[in-house]
Amino acid sequence: MRKYFEKLAQIDRRIIYLILFLTVLLPYLFKISLPMKPLPEVVQAYKEIDQLPPGSVVMISIDYDAASMPEVQPMLYAILRHCFSKNLKVVMLGHWPLGIPLGVTALNEVAKEYHKKYGVDYVFLGFRPGLAAVIINMGKEIRSVFAEDYWGTPLDSLPMMRNVHTYDDIAVIVGLEAGSVGDAWVQYAQARYNAKIILGGTAVVAPDWYPYLQSHQIVGLIGGLRGAADYENLVHHKALAYYGMTPQAAVHILIVIFIILGNLGYIALRRRK
Amino acid sequence: MRREVPIAITFFTGVLLVVAFFIPHEPFGSLEQRFNDWYIIVSGFAMILGLDSLLLHHWNKVSRRSQDWFHSLSLILAFFITLFWGFYSGIHTGNFLSAQSTFRKYFYLYVFVPLQATMFSLLAFFIASAAYRAFRADRFEATLLLFSAGIVMLGRVPMGNQVAPWIIGFVLLLFAFLLYSDGRKEVDSLRRALKFGGAILSLLLIYPLAWFFLKYTAATAGWIMNIPQLAAKRGIFIGIALGGIAMSLRIILGIEKTYLR
Amino acid sequence: MIVQSFIFLLLVSFKPAPATHVRAYDTPNDAGGSVTVKWDLSKDDSIVTKYEIIRIIGSPNGERVSAGFVLRGTNSYRDVDLKNGQKYYYMIRTWADGEYSDSEITPTPAIPKPQWFHTKRVVALVILVIFTLLLWYYLQLAKKGAPLWIRKIAGLEAIDEAVGRSVEMGRPILYILGLGAISDIPTIAGLAILKRVAKKAAEYEAEIIVPNYDPIVMVAAQETVKEGFMEAGRPDLYRENNIMFLTQDQFGYAAGVDGIMVREKPGAIFLQGLFFAESLILAETGHSIGAIQISGTTSVTQLPFFIAATDYTLIGEEMYAASAYLTRDPLALSTLKAEDIMKALFIALVGLGTIFESIAILTGAQGFHFLKNLFNMF
Repeated sequence: MRKYFEKLAQIDRRIIYLILFLTVLLPYLFKISLPMKPLPEVVQAYKEIDQLPPGSVVMISIDYDAASMPEVQPMLYAILRHCFSKNLKVVMLGHWPLGIPLGVTALNEVAKEYHKKYGVDYVFLGFRPGLAAVIINMGKEIRSVFAEDYWGTPLDSLPMMRNVHTYDDIAVIVGLEAGSVGDAWVQYAQARYNAKIILGGTAVVAPDWYPYLQSHQIVGLIGGLRGAADYENLVHHKALAYYGMTPQAAVHILIVIFIILGNLGYIALRRRK
Repeated sequence: MRREVPIAITFFTGVLLVVAFFIPHEPFGSLEQRFNDWYIIVSGFAMILGLDSLLLHHWNKVSRRSQDWFHSLSLILAFFITLFWGFYSGIHTGNFLSAQSTFRKYFYLYVFVPLQATMFSLLAFFIASAAYRAFRADRFEATLLLFSAGIVMLGRVPMGNQVAPWIIGFVLLLFAFLLYSDGRKEVDSLRRALKFGGAILSLLLIYPLAWFFLKYTAATAGWIMNIPQLAAKRGIFIGIALGGIAMSLRIILGIEKTYLR
Repeated sequence: MIVQSFIFLLLVSFKPAPATHVRAYDTPNDAGGSVTVKWDLSKDDSIVTKYEIIRIIGSPNGERVSAGFVLRGTNSYRDVDLKNGQKYYYMIRTWADGEYSDSEITPTPAIPKPQWFHTKRVVALVILVIFTLLLWYYLQLAKKGAPLWIRKIAGLEAIDEAVGRSVEMGRPILYILGLGAISDIPTIAGLAILKRVAKKAAEYEAEIIVPNYDPIVMVAAQETVKEGFMEAGRPDLYRENNIMFLTQDQFGYAAGVDGIMVREKPGAIFLQGLFFAESLILAETGHSIGAIQISGTTSVTQLPFFIAATDYTLIGEEMYAASAYLTRDPLALSTLKAEDIMKALFIALVGLGTIFESIAILTGAQGFHFLKNLFNMF
């Protein structure tokens, strides 16, 4: 009996990996879903967008790339669906050049779903290097950074951009993050120009933003897959993030079980000594 | 001279930027931005150095046929194929990552995206094995960390409230068992009574604690994240900020010069 | 139906209440050319479509230009690209669909001008001055040869042991500087530790591999290692080829470094610098090959991963202290001393703030808010 317990302290990592893989795979295959209550910070973000009058401009920044796609891309889809269903206008740009195609794909796809017209309902600005400089200069005049959109059309030729010049003309900025660009949005766009900001990002970076939320420097926070699932839930369009929550929950519980098993083995070993 | 000139430049620019921080008036106001722009330009050129180093390193391996030279060859080939395909696609469609470009269609969507996502998802596996190995209740602090980590993990998922009572119950049961079996071996009657008492207490605590976590696992997780976690983080942040100031002053004053030859 | 049409008509022809109490002033703490306009929201703010900010140049009867729009609920606007020294008046036009009403014109003109001192940065200046004075004081002490004590840092003590063990096993040493650029302080701190590691490696005739994410950092790392080898008197052992550039892609870098770990099987791995999500991918792979690992970073979110997966971790400022700790240079140690006193001051301020604010809230005595008010002022 004791021997078996002691073995629990030395489970081979490959066995752990295999069990983990199956725990992720099975709930996806059977599409098991769980009921959940949205987190207050996500509801806050949702309400902030929900109460905007039709025609307001929402700026979405793609500050992530393929690596964080599973967590952040569902947020983008859910937010785009929310914006277009409320007849809000969307300006998209990005600070991570390799994430730009992800933004374009999602924007085109969702716009098609809601029969939105490019240039009238949404615009894609693309990428410019120089993070802080881009954010600061857009506060003075967006055209000083993006004179043209992603496809080379001058901004003034796009009807929806005619009255959009600075952050004052943008109702809310949604930064979708996988790194430190979110801090730059807060430090430059919020602190200097008083722009309203919602940050969404991977579960690794999101905890850093709670102080911003407490100090009202951001008006909403969507963290990790859970945040994305909550947002999907709020816009009543359950998709990848929502169904991804079950594997995530199962893996969390699995890790807790592994920790307990490891400790059981550890205690057994220590008692023998 | 070789050392003095860089240190003088560092001193001058460092002091200038510190002063500029307090002066909004031009030309000081935009100085930081200007220096940043310069840095971006210089680092763009430095990329050439990087590529030179990368290709040379692997070319050496290939030409010497050293161990695993085949990997190096595949790197060199992949480098040039990506480069030329990207250029070709970009010139052909006018936009490197436009929807029509074959580069984006095939390379970006079917090679780059899955590769990046795979590397990132490895984290899940590594977190599991690291948690299994590292979270051992060997000291009081470690046990505390273990419990809070467990609660936060359970509190952040939809089923957490339902699962937590079972886990807590199991852990307390285990505790009671350990105390009981320890107590049986105890010769001293007072210590034996204490251990038996602890075992009974653990059993008695199962119901109230399970009830508490059935209702408040998520709330407790939130409390751990918002209060103790944030407090510790702020403490570390303040330390890092002060350390950063001291380090910067050492660099500006030329005390710290390990990065110079 | 009739009622609905009536409401509709009412809405269409409804003139919103104007914004009130409009004031404009030179934007403080800027480089000039900007005016801040503030107003009290219209009583009908809930049906307002937008507020138009109208700039009047020279005199209240001067030329009127539309400066910009803001959405409902917003009561301030920063007008930019203005001429310094010119007088500007402002008026707010409140729009509700096609109808609008104008506010009064600001009674006094706003004159944009640049400022020579940023008044919101007084606290930073005070901290800097105190820090510099403390630094000067301890530098003098250090020059006189006063002993400066520094507590033991386990992670730094372990460097020699890690290098030695790696040499005994006949394996190379892997040094990872993370994703930072040369402008990031943790990277420079990482380079300082690298120098020590390189020197030790040269003494033991061990091979050292440094894969890089940033080309400028790569050049600095090459210089640092070369210098370390020279200090150890073994410049002949230095191989530039071992300090190479990998990629500027985060997970590409992680994959590359993991590959080096698995192929070269280093005996000691140092992870010192700025790390992000790749931290655990590196540290776990390092653990799986049985290397002794010493990590250090200021990325607070990655610290738990390092603490769980590596043998020693330098937490935040410990890393910054490394070069002073390792060289025992009295001048460098004196900066640590100044930092410690500064930290004690901060702790005292936080403690006092907590006590005073608690008293203020519990008793309702406004006087106890003085510390908070003082910091809010600047």
